[in-house]
Amino acid sequence: MNIPVPGGDGPEIVTQESLLLGAAERISRIRDGRVAVHIHLSRLRPQNRQDGHVRIALRMLEPIVNAYRGQMFLLGTSDIVFMMKDPYVTDVENMIYKLRALFSKDPLTFQDGGDGQDKFCTWYELGESGDYEEFLQVARAATAAARKRVREKDAAPAERRSIDSKILGEVLTRLATMDVSKLIRRQAAMVIAKETQAVVLFQEFFVAMAELQRVLAPDINLMGNRWLFQHLSQTLDLRVLGALTGMKLRAQPNVYSLNLNISAVGDRAFEQFETHVKGQAGISVEMQILDILGDSRGFYATRQTLRDRGHMVTIDGLNELTMQFLDITQFDADLYKVTWSPDMTEGEHALTMSKAVATIGGDKILLARCDSEAAIGWGLNRGIKRFQGRYIDTMLAAFTMQSCDKASACTLAQCTNRHAVIAGPLRSECGNNDMLDSSPVMRAPRARSQ
Amino acid sequence: MSPTFERPITEQQKEIAQRLPAGENLLLDYLHKLERHRRGRRAVLARLSSLQAVNRREHHIRIASSTFEPMVKQLKGQVFTLSNCDLIFVFKEIALHEVESVIVKLRFMFNEDPALTDEGVGNRPSFFDWFLLERDYDSLLHLAQRMASDEEQRRSQEQMNSNKPIAHRRPVRRGEALTTEMLAKLEDALASADLANMLRRQAVCAIVGNTPPQPVFNELFISIADLRETLLPKVNLASSPWLFQQLTETLDRRILSLLNKHDDRTVDGDISINLNVQTLLAPEFLVFDDNIKASMRGTMVLELQKVDIFADLGAFLFARDFAHDRGYRICIDGVNMESLPFVDRVRLGIDLVKIVWDSAMMDGTLPNGETIETYVDRCGPSRSILCRCDAQDAVDFGQSMGITLFQGRHVENMLAAATAAKRGILSRRR
Repeated sequence: MNIPVPGGDGPEIVTQESLLLGAAERISRIRDGRVAVHIHLSRLRPQNRQDGHVRIALRMLEPIVNAYRGQMFLLGTSDIVFMMKDPYVTDVENMIYKLRALFSKDPLTFQDGGDGQDKFCTWYELGESGDYEEFLQVARAATAAARKRVREKDAAPAERRSIDSKILGEVLTRLATMDVSKLIRRQAAMVIAKETQAVVLFQEFFVAMAELQRVLAPDINLMGNRWLFQHLSQTLDLRVLGALTGMKLRAQPNVYSLNLNISAVGDRAFEQFETHVKGQAGISVEMQILDILGDSRGFYATRQTLRDRGHMVTIDGLNELTMQFLDITQFDADLYKVTWSPDMTEGEHALTMSKAVATIGGDKILLARCDSEAAIGWGLNRGIKRFQGRYIDTMLAAFTMQSCDKASACTLAQCTNRHAVIAGPLRSECGNNDMLDSSPVMRAPRARSQ
Repeated sequence: MSPTFERPITEQQKEIAQRLPAGENLLLDYLHKLERHRRGRRAVLARLSSLQAVNRREHHIRIASSTFEPMVKQLKGQVFTLSNCDLIFVFKEIALHEVESVIVKLRFMFNEDPALTDEGVGNRPSFFDWFLLERDYDSLLHLAQRMASDEEQRRSQEQMNSNKPIAHRRPVRRGEALTTEMLAKLEDALASADLANMLRRQAVCAIVGNTPPQPVFNELFISIADLRETLLPKVNLASSPWLFQQLTETLDRRILSLLNKHDDRTVDGDISINLNVQTLLAPEFLVFDDNIKASMRGTMVLELQKVDIFADLGAFLFARDFAHDRGYRICIDGVNMESLPFVDRVRLGIDLVKIVWDSAMMDGTLPNGETIETYVDRCGPSRSILCRCDAQDAVDFGQSMGITLFQGRHVENMLAAATAAKRGILSRRR
């Protein structure tokens, strides 16, 4: 066995990339009729290039690569490169067309870069007058990048293990005795009341997942199993309701918005919270589609109960896909919370969103996770008046600092972060908790024509 | 019947499901007919109800009852399965020896069970009771009457329960709740358990008018009821829906590896299996895909749970397109009348919708005010399957709404009856 020399190049690392480079070099003398195709799966959105997607893509390509005595390489970036000899080009194109269709919901396949380049795949003619040198360069660069990645990976900490039912039991035990109030975050949503005024619509109280993860089980990926996480969230709901019932703010928000499972609304913890805020603030309950589909009967009953008691029903976590594949109006909610994404501005998704806003009505939609002025502008131009997200957080902090007598001691970022918590050191550092808890009337942002 | 769409099962629903249709009434009818033909007839009662739960699963009852079948076909007697699982076989004396040998077989089948090992000990009744109709006709008739009226009462009770308004029909929580510890143990047990003997199949049939059901495809599934009685007899699986969902996902993966391992003819013919979106993209599915004949794919149905589809629409759309490309059909499973309004088959690009039968459907409208007929019309009559049909009224109702595809215990019984009738005709011809 070779002992790696410290700081030296070490033994040659065999990667798919180095194998690709080897193969590319081997054919240098007999290249006639050979072609290579590079499929850029690495350019897909992360959620669209998970192991399963890549596995299926390889499976789709396999028959055709085998048919033309080709070789296929899966790079560490998730890109796929294959080489063939004398293929019937239409065959290959048809297969790539099919593959592209599988990813049709990703901007990579529908976005127009404007330069006429195909961003999904690149062809290389390896024959005499072709692109062999260029291809060789690509393979070399990939090999170097892979070698670097392998080295860095050795140094990087091991990936967190996914939660399983055994660990979930332990996590639930720990959760039962933990003070969750430090994990609770607050974020205001804004509504443009008149042309020029923006007022706080509600304050949403939720659990910071990254924090929860860190405190509860730093080496476990709590979100690694959807169903087990759902089960965990049912307990979490009750703990959060308990913490909110004991919470002391300088001023109550006009409306508390809470993310809850249907099961939580039927619990005593919810009733206690109701009693706690009664006569001082309204309540809006945000529910997830997954939970509603899991217990639709419970949803109808809960929706009725909430309305009977004067609360608001909000559907949370909608996006351009749910808007397209579900008839959202069937939820018959008071507010639909749609997660902003730049993808909404283009192609099929843009069309879907325009239709959805027209059907539901701008007044019933809240655009969430607005992190830029572009998001607000897009919404305003479509008649949406309710917004939430980092952009709004900053707006609120800036407004606060304008009229806060302690503002000279703080930065905008500090003010934003302090708004987001309800307990702990961040809050006590602020010299003006009254202003943190206030719901001011601000000047409305204006839409630039797009 | 997939494990997952047994999810909202309550003790009561399970009872309904396990009850074979009105064996008591059939017996009573039959006894009345025999009133003038008591001579030379006998009956034997097998108290399967006194067996332990593990020995009293559906397939045990089925096997036990089928041991009498050859004599039924030779017109030597009639077998009745009662709702408590007891069997009564009424037969002609000429078959006495054959019956005795069947009884030996049954004793052998259950010889480890306390019902047989402790037979006659203390107050324990004997496992088999014999009747000489000439002498005991009245006591047998009496017994049958009592059982029929018990059954009647139970039915009306169920009727009453099912007529209660929706809000009051939330699943009854009985038994211990499923905990994470139990789930962990269960998953460990499943990893090494041989599930082959829990693999069941149930047909999805076309039923048009009064014609006998025509099987369209067979669903393969692991019987949760069996599993539960074997591993967690006292646990109410519906108490923690998400843990239960996790369990079914484990089971679905196990079925796939079972099918991958068994090179027998399990996957021959037109079948459906339950999968989740993540498994569809997993290596074990690709192995499965390799193993089955390409020619068969047109009739392979993949059943996906509604929660799984909506949990990650992006992943679903990808998996759907891949499955379609490989020639599979996709069915959304476990859609009850409350979730029906959210499931737009055409929009989702799914081939089939499985609608869970619920007697509350007979009121006519869905929660959004639409009629089921309108829904079926839009979904496509040949695209809607009414499942968990455990009685004729489900089929009658479905047909009146334009549905032509049905599944459930009642459909199984209809199918069995049709097959038996066909065999009867054949043997008589011979």
